[in-house]
Amino acid sequence: MLQPLDKSTASPLFQRRLLHHNEIEKLNINDSRPNSISSNMSLLQNGVCARCGEGFKMKDQIVNSHDQTWHPECFVCAQCFQSFPGGIFYEFEGRKYCEHDFHVLFAPCCQKCGEFIIGRVIKALNNSWHPDCFRCQLCNGPLADTGFMKNAGRALCRECHAHEKARGLGKYVCHKCHAIIEEGHIKFKEEAYHPYHFNCKTCGSELTADAREKNGELYCLRCFDKMGIPICGACRRPIEERVVNALGKYWHVEHFVCAKCEKPFLGTRYYEKKNLAYCENHYHQLFGNICFVCNNIVAGDVFTAFNKAWCVNHFACSVCDRKMSQKTKFFEFDMKPVCKSCYEKFPGELKRRLKKNYDAQSKK
Amino acid sequence: MMALEHLTRLTLSHNKLTEIPQDIVLLVNLEKLNLFNNHIETLPSNLCDFTKLKTLNLAINRLKALPRGFGAFPVLEVLDLTYNNLNESSLPGNFFCLETLRALYLGDNDFTTFPAEVGKLQNLQVLCLRDNDLIRLPKEIGGIQRLRELHIQGNRLSILPPELGQLDLCGTKQLFKAENNPWVTMIEDQMKIGPSHVFEYIRTNTYKFLYERYTEAEPEPALRKTERAKRFGKK
Ligand SMILES: [Zn+2]
Ligand SMILES: [Zn+2]
Ligand SMILES: [Zn+2]
Ligand SMILES: [Zn+2]
Ligand SMILES: [Zn+2]
Ligand SMILES: [Zn+2]
Ligand SMILES: [Zn+2]
Ligand SMILES: [Zn+2]
Repeated sequence: MLQPLDKSTASPLFQRRLLHHNEIEKLNINDSRPNSISSNMSLLQNGVCARCGEGFKMKDQIVNSHDQTWHPECFVCAQCFQSFPGGIFYEFEGRKYCEHDFHVLFAPCCQKCGEFIIGRVIKALNNSWHPDCFRCQLCNGPLADTGFMKNAGRALCRECHAHEKARGLGKYVCHKCHAIIEEGHIKFKEEAYHPYHFNCKTCGSELTADAREKNGELYCLRCFDKMGIPICGACRRPIEERVVNALGKYWHVEHFVCAKCEKPFLGTRYYEKKNLAYCENHYHQLFGNICFVCNNIVAGDVFTAFNKAWCVNHFACSVCDRKMSQKTKFFEFDMKPVCKSCYEKFPGELKRRLKKNYDAQSKK
Repeated sequence: MMALEHLTRLTLSHNKLTEIPQDIVLLVNLEKLNLFNNHIETLPSNLCDFTKLKTLNLAINRLKALPRGFGAFPVLEVLDLTYNNLNESSLPGNFFCLETLRALYLGDNDFTTFPAEVGKLQNLQVLCLRDNDLIRLPKEIGGIQRLRELHIQGNRLSILPPELGQLDLCGTKQLFKAENNPWVTMIEDQMKIGPSHVFEYIRTNTYKFLYERYTEAEPEPALRKTERAKRFGKK
């Protein structure tokens, strides 16, 4: 599967260019620099120009390269007919080109950055890359020296390829060996592993998929159960996922609920009363002071009487609605306040009965 | 009346009104109507057209019945019918459609039984049935989850439905008044120690069993108390 990138898989063009490069080095040093263009008696007598086939005259400059000779005006780029800048040329199918035209005509462009590639070319996925441009399309890690895996038309590193493949199969990739976990992974510090890469912290036995993590260590299930795992205060079963610690007990996240509506708090604020937890709404409904007149939670000062509460400015005679203060004398009728003047207008029979009940009550 | 269209509260307590004028309903914005202590004998049938009325006080009047359709008030929260001449047959068919009610006062009336439909009043926090002739309570009262005040003192009750054990009426914001009833001894004994003991007791299986035996036997209800007869004499 892994496709190595060495000389054997490099493109023919890549090989050719390496060859030419070597030749040019030699050429530069020995023959083709302008100051090395020389008059040579033997060439004058016997040689012909490799391009035009004519002989050389006295005083003619002769270019000598690779055992061939040229008139200087004939030793030019096959494309632009200009002499080679710096004497550097590239040869392809028997023709010589200046560096510029060789690049334009034959050199590969990098699939990523679009620039010509001079030096090592990576040929992969029917395209060419600079070695440094050839990177994993998921993690951007370099691939030129490690090789790549073909995945849905993309070049990926081994790790990313394994993850992608596992994802497609609905499986995990081992964070240690990067192979797909065929069955039974364990989670450790949020990553999946083959269980057999680990041993139980307590007994040292090789772990299986039912191993458990606790405080950053891994344990086999037997040792884990012996360590006293938290028990949910609601369902009385051990808590192996996230633990909520509240009201002096442990809870499964989904079992820590409002004592009234039984909806889980899931991290939202809760209110405690008599060792029970309530959502904001029910806490106010049950324990907030709700004004008997306006039926709202009393926001400011509260007036309490007859097991009821009032907004201070809503406390009034229940008969005539006249406002009353803490100091106003009032009577109780069915656990509601009645001002003195209203009470005096009550039917005499009722007043006598109320007084009798009041006296009986206060005797107790 | 038209000029008072924007009026939201009308207090006509301690007058000697014998009836309410029909066109009072032109006060379309009325939220609170107080007719406490008058001589009203009948109510106009269009009274429930007050679509914004939240508090209606008709205590200490001479009502023998409520008009047909009375239960149609859409937002009525507090209804005070204390000290009238009402009984179970005085209530119109739609009375328990008043589902927005949070306080219902029916003390000093003439109910001997109370309709099971009271269980429909799920917003009820206060139910006052003080000083009637009630010989038993509907078990449906036990299903009114928000109830925190129950006044049943001064009736002819001897036993409580075990369903009342579902209510929480024993905290500092709750109230349970049950004195002056001919309670069976086992309840009376608990009453003496305190209401929380009554509720604990009626939740027990022992009590549920006794309650069934007791109701099957259909004992004669206790007689009316002389004191109540006096009230009728006064009117
Ligand atoms: Zn050229
Ligand atoms: Zn590139
Ligand atoms: Zn990668
Ligand atoms: Zn592995
Ligand atoms: Zn749980
Ligand atoms: Zn809640
Ligand atoms: Zn208020
Ligand atoms: Zn008053």
